[in-house]
Amino acid sequence: MSQSLIPELIIVTGAGGGLGRALALELVQKGSRVAGLGRRSDALAETAALAGDGFLPVQCDIADPAQVATAFSQARAWGGPVRRLINNAALYPRRDFLDETGDSFMQTVAVNLGGLASCSSEALKDMVAAGQGRIMNVATFADIAPLPGSAAYSVSKGAARIFTRALVADLQDRFDNIVINDWMPGMLKTQMGIADGLDPATSAHWGAELALMDDPTLNGTTWEMDCEIPPHASLKRRIAEKLRLVAKRPARKLG
Amino acid sequence: MSPQNTHWDALIIGTGIGGGTIGRALAEAGMKVLFVEKGRAGFRAEQSAIDADQQDPFARAMHGLWPDKVHARINGHDQQIFAPLGSTVGGSSAFYAATLERPEPHDLSDAEGRPHPAGGWAKSYAQMEPWFEQAERMYRVHGEADPLSPVTQPILPPLPAPGKADAVIMAALRRGGLHPYQLHAALKNPPGCGNCLGRKCPNPACKMDGRSAGVEPALATGNATLIDRCEVTALLGEAGHITGVAAIRDGEALTLTADRVILSAGALSSPRLLLRSASAHWPDGCANASGLVGRNLMFHFNEMFAVFPGRGAQLAPGEADSKSVGLRDYYFADGQRLGMVQAMGIEASYGSILHYLRQRLDQNMLGRNRLVQEAARLPAGLAVKILGSATVFVGLLEDMPYAENRVIYDPATPGQIKLTYAFAPELLARRKVFRKLISRGFGGLRTVFLGHSPEPNLGHPCGTLRYGTDPATSVLDANCKAHGLDNLWVADASFMPSSMGVNPSLTIAANALHVAQSITKGG
Repeated sequence: MSQSLIPELIIVTGAGGGLGRALALELVQKGSRVAGLGRRSDALAETAALAGDGFLPVQCDIADPAQVATAFSQARAWGGPVRRLINNAALYPRRDFLDETGDSFMQTVAVNLGGLASCSSEALKDMVAAGQGRIMNVATFADIAPLPGSAAYSVSKGAARIFTRALVADLQDRFDNIVINDWMPGMLKTQMGIADGLDPATSAHWGAELALMDDPTLNGTTWEMDCEIPPHASLKRRIAEKLRLVAKRPARKLG
Repeated sequence: MSPQNTHWDALIIGTGIGGGTIGRALAEAGMKVLFVEKGRAGFRAEQSAIDADQQDPFARAMHGLWPDKVHARINGHDQQIFAPLGSTVGGSSAFYAATLERPEPHDLSDAEGRPHPAGGWAKSYAQMEPWFEQAERMYRVHGEADPLSPVTQPILPPLPAPGKADAVIMAALRRGGLHPYQLHAALKNPPGCGNCLGRKCPNPACKMDGRSAGVEPALATGNATLIDRCEVTALLGEAGHITGVAAIRDGEALTLTADRVILSAGALSSPRLLLRSASAHWPDGCANASGLVGRNLMFHFNEMFAVFPGRGAQLAPGEADSKSVGLRDYYFADGQRLGMVQAMGIEASYGSILHYLRQRLDQNMLGRNRLVQEAARLPAGLAVKILGSATVFVGLLEDMPYAENRVIYDPATPGQIKLTYAFAPELLARRKVFRKLISRGFGGLRTVFLGHSPEPNLGHPCGTLRYGTDPATSVLDANCKAHGLDNLWVADASFMPSSMGVNPSLTIAANALHVAQSITKGG
């Protein structure tokens, strides 16, 4: 995808396991250099052992903005400016809100929303300088109908979806080639997911393909697994489509 | 004083109607008792309901429901079902309808013309009678005497105010020659009673269950302690003696020790725990010298039907929620062990009749047509117009013990309830008789069955650790102490050699009181 001789640098958060590890492996295999952030160095070392030379493990708790700044410096020193960012890391503590405290609640928010903001802020420094970049946020529908015992997750992941739209609002009129969108990976067979879910490698195959696409029309779109979820068309647009004044926008599919 | 650092007089695994009852009796007798409960204690004011639609295991556990699906092989077909089982203080009884009916003498003993399927229980009806009485007092049972009973009936306080539906239905049934009576229920029905059938009762003085009549009074003695969210993973000990249990709480392993261990995790889980406890001392599982641990699993078969009270006795929509009518006219009929019939406290309204008709239509191709589905509104509407609202009744069909029907322990999924069960030909034949009697009789009232295939009630399991006098053919002795072990007792529905024609709760409680006395008084 990148035309330069040096492979581009991609940051993947939560690379010590599950979907994050699968995404890192897929991207390295496709020829990118991936700096994987994660809290546990032993888990990152396992990813590194599977990925080989194209992977840099960077231990970092993304809830702490100072650690994020240090981690990005390490990654740049290894792989140059950040070209792409996949915000994948998230906490999903199942907890009755009656067992939650303000502190415990905000710990989850600090990772799922705070980490998203800190990593995006760091990555955008390089992307704005280059006039191009790609941020893909791993998202969920958890905010639509929160499951019992998932308040902190549902709230922070719901806020993360607003964050994507807000970031697009801030950047799209100024930076055509910084492309930001949400991707729902599907129900996965990971520690955070369900027992009879998808193999994370299958889902990571789609996620990596989407993250490597730079088409500006992807900006602000939402994808579920390998399909675009078409935005709700305005009444004006729907009438225009019916009257064949404009072409109906087909939902896109990967592959 | 943490539970691990104390050596208990008695450790009780599970706090349902069996564990709660025996724990209270032992604590009142002065023993230091530890209740170990797998589920969450939750909050006293909770009103969570048994909810089969809730699929999320965490949410189920949060609400006090058994979190995982039961893996059942039924007639060779594998099914995964959310069973109506509680996992909280009070166990399944926290959600029950509080129907505490006595069995009949022939449920426990061989009687002339009514041979017992397991050759009789280790204790006769006469021997159990004082324990039924004591359990009825402890659970503050209300209700009327069964007019058909061959033995002296308990004199119970009546329910304060029987509802209109109950009165109308009973009068109609009596006109038709049946013998209804006010069901025996552990409900006080105070003003503002929420009628907590199928859900947790927030009033500690109304519905009596394993929590309100067992664990809570036990804790009030000052002799008992409760730890919740604590799953026992194995019984520990050597040949002939239990020293304690291994458990997991919040992901941490712990060992608890006691002079006596009482297993009351329910008939689906108590045998699983014994099999899971296999060790060098007990290679085939704890207390399993007979090889019968987990075997002879029985359920009740629920025959649900709507009853229309008929001419001149119509109930308007919203009035047909009769809940306290029972009858034993078909308990033993046509020379067969059948079971009792009870109102379920549910009204078969226009909506539920329509739902039922549509379910039936769904079973054939034509019926899936949307127009046909819509057309079902007409007969449903007519039924309500002509017949009034219906009350849903259930017949509890007794099940018989078969060694092949059993609880299975799978080391790959040690915490999971797994079972295999097949319908015996004689069960299907008795079921036919039961249904025929109900549809042809029932006081001449119009009835409609709400289901055709046999449905085992997974909320009424029993028999998986049967008691008896011969160690070769039973797991427990006549006092429910495990054969070959000097300090392990069982106080849940596992001990029952046959499933009876009534709800199991009163018998579980009565037996638990009897076991408690055998422990404190030695026999």
